[in-house]
Amino acid sequence: MKFRVILPFFLLFYFFVNPVSAQKDSLVKATQKYSVHHSSKDIRIGERIFHGFVPSATKTINCASCHNVDHIDTLNWNPSAMDLALKYAKKDFPSFKTVIMNPTGMVMTQIHENLELTDEQIGQVKGYLDDLAKKGEEPTKPLQTNRILFILLILLFVVTLVDFIFTKKIKVKGVHGIVLLITFLFITNYIVTSAIALGRSPNYQPDQPIKFSHKVHAGQNQTSCVYCHFNAQQSKFAGIPPASVCLNCHVIVKEGARSGKFEIAKISKAIENNQSIKWIKVHNLPDHVYFNHSQHVVAGKIECSQCHGDVQTMDQVVQVKELSMGWCVNCHRETKVQFANKFYGKYEQLHNDLREGKIDKVTVEKIGGTDCMKCHY
Amino acid sequence: MKKYWRNIDEIETGPVQDKSVQDEASANNEIIGFLEGIPFKTSASRRDFLKVMSYSVASAAILSACSKPIQNAIPFLVQPADIVPGKASHYASTFFDGSEYCPIVVKVRDGRPIKLEGNELYLYTRGGTSARVQASILSLYDNARIKTPFRKNNPIQWKEADTEIISALKKIRHSGKDIVLLSSTIFSPSTLKAFDAFKSSFPKAKVIHYDVVSYSGMVNAYKETIGKAGIPYPLFDKADVVVSFGADFLGNWLFPTEFTLAYVSKRKVEKGKNKMSRHIQYESNLSLTGSNADERIRIKPSEELVALANLYNLIASKLGGSPIEVESASGELKLEKIAAELLGNKGKSIVISGSNDTDVQKIVIAINRLLDNYGNTFDMKRPILTKQGSDNELFDLVNDMKAGKIGALFFHHANPCYDYFDSTQFTQSLGEVDLKVSFSGFPNETLAYCDFVCPDHHFLESWNDFEPRKGIFSIAQPCIHPIFDTRHMQESLLIWAGNTSKWETFLKNNWEKEIFPKQKEIADFDSFWVASLRAGCIETSEDEKLSITNNLVVKSVDSALKSMELQIVQPLAVASGYHSNNPWLQELPDPISRVTWDNYASVSPKLAGEMNLKTGDVIRLNNKIEIPVVEQPGQADNVISIGLNYGRTMAGKVAEEVGVNMYPFVTSKAGHLHYFQTDISISKTGKQVVLAQTQTHHTMEGREIVRETTLNEYAAKPNAGNEAHEEFEKNHQTLYPEHKYDSFHWGLGVDLNSCIGCGACTIACQAENNVAVIGREQVIKRRIMHWIRVDRYYTGPPETPSVLFQPVMCQHCDNAPCENVCPVAATNHSNEGLNQMAYNRCVGTRYCINNCPYKVRRFNWLKFTDNPKFDYNQNSQLGKMVLNPDVVVRERGVVEKCTFCVQRIQEKKLTAKLENRTLKDGEVQPACVQSCPAEAMTFGDLNDQHSNIFKLFSNERNYHLLEELHTLPKVGYLTKVRNKEA
Repeated sequence: MKFRVILPFFLLFYFFVNPVSAQKDSLVKATQKYSVHHSSKDIRIGERIFHGFVPSATKTINCASCHNVDHIDTLNWNPSAMDLALKYAKKDFPSFKTVIMNPTGMVMTQIHENLELTDEQIGQVKGYLDDLAKKGEEPTKPLQTNRILFILLILLFVVTLVDFIFTKKIKVKGVHGIVLLITFLFITNYIVTSAIALGRSPNYQPDQPIKFSHKVHAGQNQTSCVYCHFNAQQSKFAGIPPASVCLNCHVIVKEGARSGKFEIAKISKAIENNQSIKWIKVHNLPDHVYFNHSQHVVAGKIECSQCHGDVQTMDQVVQVKELSMGWCVNCHRETKVQFANKFYGKYEQLHNDLREGKIDKVTVEKIGGTDCMKCHY
Repeated sequence: MKKYWRNIDEIETGPVQDKSVQDEASANNEIIGFLEGIPFKTSASRRDFLKVMSYSVASAAILSACSKPIQNAIPFLVQPADIVPGKASHYASTFFDGSEYCPIVVKVRDGRPIKLEGNELYLYTRGGTSARVQASILSLYDNARIKTPFRKNNPIQWKEADTEIISALKKIRHSGKDIVLLSSTIFSPSTLKAFDAFKSSFPKAKVIHYDVVSYSGMVNAYKETIGKAGIPYPLFDKADVVVSFGADFLGNWLFPTEFTLAYVSKRKVEKGKNKMSRHIQYESNLSLTGSNADERIRIKPSEELVALANLYNLIASKLGGSPIEVESASGELKLEKIAAELLGNKGKSIVISGSNDTDVQKIVIAINRLLDNYGNTFDMKRPILTKQGSDNELFDLVNDMKAGKIGALFFHHANPCYDYFDSTQFTQSLGEVDLKVSFSGFPNETLAYCDFVCPDHHFLESWNDFEPRKGIFSIAQPCIHPIFDTRHMQESLLIWAGNTSKWETFLKNNWEKEIFPKQKEIADFDSFWVASLRAGCIETSEDEKLSITNNLVVKSVDSALKSMELQIVQPLAVASGYHSNNPWLQELPDPISRVTWDNYASVSPKLAGEMNLKTGDVIRLNNKIEIPVVEQPGQADNVISIGLNYGRTMAGKVAEEVGVNMYPFVTSKAGHLHYFQTDISISKTGKQVVLAQTQTHHTMEGREIVRETTLNEYAAKPNAGNEAHEEFEKNHQTLYPEHKYDSFHWGLGVDLNSCIGCGACTIACQAENNVAVIGREQVIKRRIMHWIRVDRYYTGPPETPSVLFQPVMCQHCDNAPCENVCPVAATNHSNEGLNQMAYNRCVGTRYCINNCPYKVRRFNWLKFTDNPKFDYNQNSQLGKMVLNPDVVVRERGVVEKCTFCVQRIQEKKLTAKLENRTLKDGEVQPACVQSCPAEAMTFGDLNDQHSNIFKLFSNERNYHLLEELHTLPKVGYLTKVRNKEA
């Protein structure tokens, strides 16, 4: 009876505190059916070759060492196995062979130079890739170590409690108390931190459909943020640049130093196919928050990096700041308003105070920047 | 102090306890029942409550614990120069639903239109709209829309349809039969040209105009007297006396939005302007127009002819003219007095009638002619072209159909199988027509009998042009790529005629050839075209010079009957069948009866007393239909009035099974349709239904809520009727520290003298702020969500009451009672004087609702989004496209209310900041203010001493609702002034 009472609460806690994982999605859902048929044996062998389990005469070929099979969090410049699979699934064997054995790109020529593969083996690799394209990507499930630990702690807590009250197996005094106290503290800490983190995702760093590096563009090439994100000055959205903006440069720059042609080709491909690029949004605010970029960038003259971090050092963009309400409000409490703007001429009292030296700066809070309905409506 | 009352019970017995009010406990049980899918009204124990509670909390926890969904950001491939994601663009266009016309500006956000505003450049509305215009945006995202062409019940390709229709048409051409386009009056010059192109291929093609509610009597009367088609346009802004016989010109008659603006401009009073027009209304039902009249006289529909003939005789006896043979009218009609007033305002008066009887209209014309009104208060240069239908042509059409003379029949904005008075006969005759094609983009009753359905675009997806009055043009331009596989009706005609030009090119060419030469301001066509598109409307110098040439031909009229009569009226909200499937309009309370989601029979208090009827009792009418009654003060005795356009059988899930179809009760007499019936029989059935009325809940018991005065008193003392305001101001004391507003202090003013009670603000607010539709059941439970309601109060005897309207929204009190009681500080005061509401903080205690003296706060009792039980626009992906992305959709369990459209305030403030300038007065306009056709509302900054709102707040007529409570509301009302003796 008692257990029945506890169970819902137990379940409740279990689900409630489940940490938000920065889930990796399947970038592309390959649903197309491909006509070329490969035997399952070929596919298996192809997979082994790709992973480097089949030694060749001179040295081990390991495609997977450059071409990722799984998602990883750091930027790998080379196209992933899935990328390759999708690109070559519809192409025939000779063109696939040419690309592998006689590549044209600079980077690829160096790496693929000493490749020794028979036609049969190449066919098997293609078989594996075609199969991969057909099956699509398997969703990766992150191991929930925290959650398992949490359940174990609760179990320990309950068992100790039961032993303390009913079974009394452990005879040493004080052990119950210590175990209960420690597990209780850990559980509480876990619940509190998870609850606070609910809906927040700092360090979120998703893989993007194109291996675009802000480090290269904003860092090395010193491109201004608002050259691409030009909407930030006019609209609530900073905006992802349209593919045509990429082409402003990439109509000439066709090959990158690290990614070769593969990634840049995706831009012109998108325009050719009339298919937009589905970027993944990194900085997400809840729907009940109104945030306007132009307000902050133009009226407030806030640097992009204040919220987005040093993007010019990031290959793959990561969410640096909390993006929580406390974080917003703190900034509103400290940041100086651009009071020279004629719009603020209305705030006579504050202007007087400023002149008379009663205050040394006008913060956003002073003009109502912490009112609910400045951001929530 | 005058006694104000809300319903008949109250005037007799004092305030009554509303029986529909349930106690809190049963309301709670119902919620639990709802959650578990248990039918309503079963009891639920505490255990059940805990069970549900734990499940719901657990499921909420599971949902919130799931990892956040991946959000994509998909940019344009090539971003068009004038589109900025997240910023709205505005396009001028035109609203036309088959009967109502209004130039509009469409707000488009990220590719989808989300709000319609009036076009401020159109001089006759100056940005005003009606509730129908505001709500019509929803029809764009109606899931019931026809998504592809159909052959019988099977979807087909356009190519297939075209091939088959063309071959059928060729056969018909060969057989020599007629091809008829049955359409609401076409006043689009380019559409008429397109039809001419069609006609060049099919010479036996013709257009028959079919207006849903016929104006044939007036059209024909003017045709006979002028000798030419065209209805002179009444200029209400030039008339000192307006006498209307049943014409609801503020509600639904011809150009209600334009007439409202003109009418109200003659009725605004201010310092130094103590003149107002006088408005006398003769009518049976209490219409929106009648409720605004200074004097309202009840007559039966059949009495109209007698009354007008007598009025004519009275005027003719003074000004000369042969009298009409007629029995003398009863003294109750006060015709002598009215005649004297009209004679005293010769050339400055308007007499109109809403009747569809040619004789009635002829007498009206004769009266106006005697009074020298044509050319003075009637515009003869720019006559009305929007109504040209003739009932006789329709009768002939049906006869021709029966005789097999009609080869093909096209329906455009026409649904005769539902709204023709003898729809059975029409439907039967359809069998004799070889080819029936409907252009309707929405399901309707006629489609079932059509061989092909070739759906037209929605008006927001289409190109079109209009000439509502001679020389006044407006353009409709598409604001969204067609959502479904639809096609311009005009393009279909062109294709069938073998003309390959696209409709938009055809239209543009026509403008170049026909309309461009009519103006002289712009020299080259391309600039003219761009300017016209941008403005949406243009006025050319070309005009008519009509004059009434023919004399009166009415010699005598029949006597009025004494029997019981039925009057069929056009309801305000669901005016034409076009809007039947619009949940916003279905839920808009009728301005007078406050009934939603139904039509009903209005009966006079006297009749109700005689028959022992109460509101909600069901009666049988002519042994044909059963309909609930509403006891309606001001209703003529022995007349019952019922609204049209309900009882649809095929119009979409919202419209179906709502109300009763009244078209079968329309009669034809002497070549005209009559919207009344004499000698009807009604009997009590003993059944009862609960009507979803909104006003029995929101009461403001026995206090000086609406203040009014008469023109003479106002002229003598500007604060007449508002003496209490000064008293209360003197006594203001406060314990709380007063709020200081350094920057802005927002305030809203409502001129009760201008407000006509039309409800456009309610729908505008609903569209702007994502207000949920809750359905009939929930309205009955007093849960209506509208953020702004228009309260209606009666004063005077129940037989002839005066009516007062008062829009009530959140009053944004400086001493807000709601703010003090919120345990979680979810509602508090902003530094700009707004009473803020943070939905995410609200835990739903509803203390604020209890403590609000104005009852303007709304609670989300249930989840109204993605809930199949509330299958309206917020339950489908398509319907949700209408949502304003800048306003949060509220969830279950939170309180919401008017925000003064804070999103608009913030937007305009930001624009000013970006442009490095101060905010201008009048720049910020909440949705209600912007939509108001009467310009009755003002919004602005009370800190700015030059602002209009500041002036309004310093006006002697200004007062606040329940100001004795010292809540310091930031909404001001100006007293109502009536032009009559006390």
